Amino acid sequence: MNASTRSTGNWLDASGGVYIAGIGLHPYQFPTETPYTQLGLTAVRAALADAGLRWNQVQSAYVGTTSMGMAAGRVMLRHLGSTGLGVTQVENASASGSFAFRQACMEIAAGVSDAVLAVGVDKHGDGRRAANKDGLERLSDTATIPAVKFAMMARTYLRERGASVEEMAGVAVKNHGNAARNPFAQFRKPRTLEQVLASPRVAGDLTVQQCCPRGEGAAAVLLVSGQAIQRMGLDARRCVRVRASVAGSEREERHYGDAAVELVRSSARAAFEQAGIAPTELDLLELHDAFSVEELLYSEAIGVCEAGEGARFLARGDSQIGGRCAINASGGLIGMGHPLGPTGIGQLAELTRQLRGEAEGRQHPQARWGMAHMIGLGSVSIAHVLCAST
Amino acid sequence: MTEPQTPLKPLHPTLYALAEDGHSLDFFFVQCRACGGLSFPANVPGCAHCGDPLADAQKLSRPGGGELLEYVTLHVPLVPGMAAPSIAGDVRIADGIVEEGVICANDETALRPGMALRAVAEVREAQGVYACRFVPVEAKVTP
Repeated sequence: MNASTRSTGNWLDASGGVYIAGIGLHPYQFPTETPYTQLGLTAVRAALADAGLRWNQVQSAYVGTTSMGMAAGRVMLRHLGSTGLGVTQVENASASGSFAFRQACMEIAAGVSDAVLAVGVDKHGDGRRAANKDGLERLSDTATIPAVKFAMMARTYLRERGASVEEMAGVAVKNHGNAARNPFAQFRKPRTLEQVLASPRVAGDLTVQQCCPRGEGAAAVLLVSGQAIQRMGLDARRCVRVRASVAGSEREERHYGDAAVELVRSSARAAFEQAGIAPTELDLLELHDAFSVEELLYSEAIGVCEAGEGARFLARGDSQIGGRCAINASGGLIGMGHPLGPTGIGQLAELTRQLRGEAEGRQHPQARWGMAHMIGLGSVSIAHVLCAST
Repeated sequence: MTEPQTPLKPLHPTLYALAEDGHSLDFFFVQCRACGGLSFPANVPGCAHCGDPLADAQKLSRPGGGELLEYVTLHVPLVPGMAAPSIAGDVRIADGIVEEGVICANDETALRPGMALRAVAEVREAQGVYACRFVPVEAKVTP
């Protein structure tokens, strides 16, 4: 069965399907004085060149950002030429870029536009959060700090699975290793298990090198309709098809600690159903590893391994590049970085590069299916499944 | 209920107040008329369980405490002014309500998941306030 016939009733099949035709990034990096406009324009120009599109062919733009303030899109994109395109800003915490991408998919599938930009751009912001403005007091000053929540999830995971701190730290070793091979990554040095464990402790068993860095950067993808690929003269072999797009938010917790994992599980399950594949068919998975334990939890929840097998899946090398399913081949949030607005689009750019067979130095062999999964503060979740063109 | 006599104010007056014994804390909840569920704190704009707007819902005061579900040591200050190291824990303070709290213990060895905690006042004389800390039920507390 090929990708175009595996599922029926998929809204992403409208308009001849939704494809990623171009990708571009500005490397993720520690905070600098570089204006966000330069970061974003670098990524957009690279995506245009990669696709072989002109700016005046792009009919709409969605800009994922958390910290740039009002009207970040138009202020940046006018430097490419004031073509009159629609510009929409999207904010959804860590998942801002992913949701910008989903809006672009919907605009194409709805037949409104044939060529749409999704770009994520951010600089290190002041961390202002709506949760601190809801008029409600909290018993603990750290009640909305993700590191505390995930440190407690890590403690529970290790106890219930009988896994070790060393096994959890192995996530960071793998992802720093992948990032070292990614020229767009914020961290470019491999780390040993001893280095990861010896780095300063932050919360619970999480050390600094098991936590994502803050930084800045930009990532862009250009989406086109299947109907427009030939008309626009694009190279269909380099176009990667979007086969699923699913969004959700947290439900009331039934058992302590399971709300976030259930959210990941349900959104991934819906995305696999929409794409018409099983989790075990994934070749690549980019997921929200802001903290090392998340990769273990979510690899089980998404279903690339059995429940309780996350640590062993990693230890066996099944999640390495060249393994059964390469998880965070980009380096993930821990290694590539997590500038927030760009992060989700950076995942999709990495999958596109891999599915094209163009990930020089870190190519996962015979990659055909990939999932980008993000969660955002709150929590919200979003999953996209991509498929190679052949 | 007789209010204890103290010049100190609660750091978070919508969440708790000193109990009659002068060192334990009572928590403020609101009970939904639609589903009967409790929400915390009492000024939430909607029932945590069914979304009811909680208009004219009954506000309740209950002894603060609950079951310790998980805990970790915070090794660095994660927010300005925070003491480190300190211990944060998730505490089930009522059916269906889990809140993160500051756990008062010398180290993690004094704690275990499932143990009962009670909320007590940590006095901050210089600020003229008291804050909420959770201690094991069996722990001796100095007012």
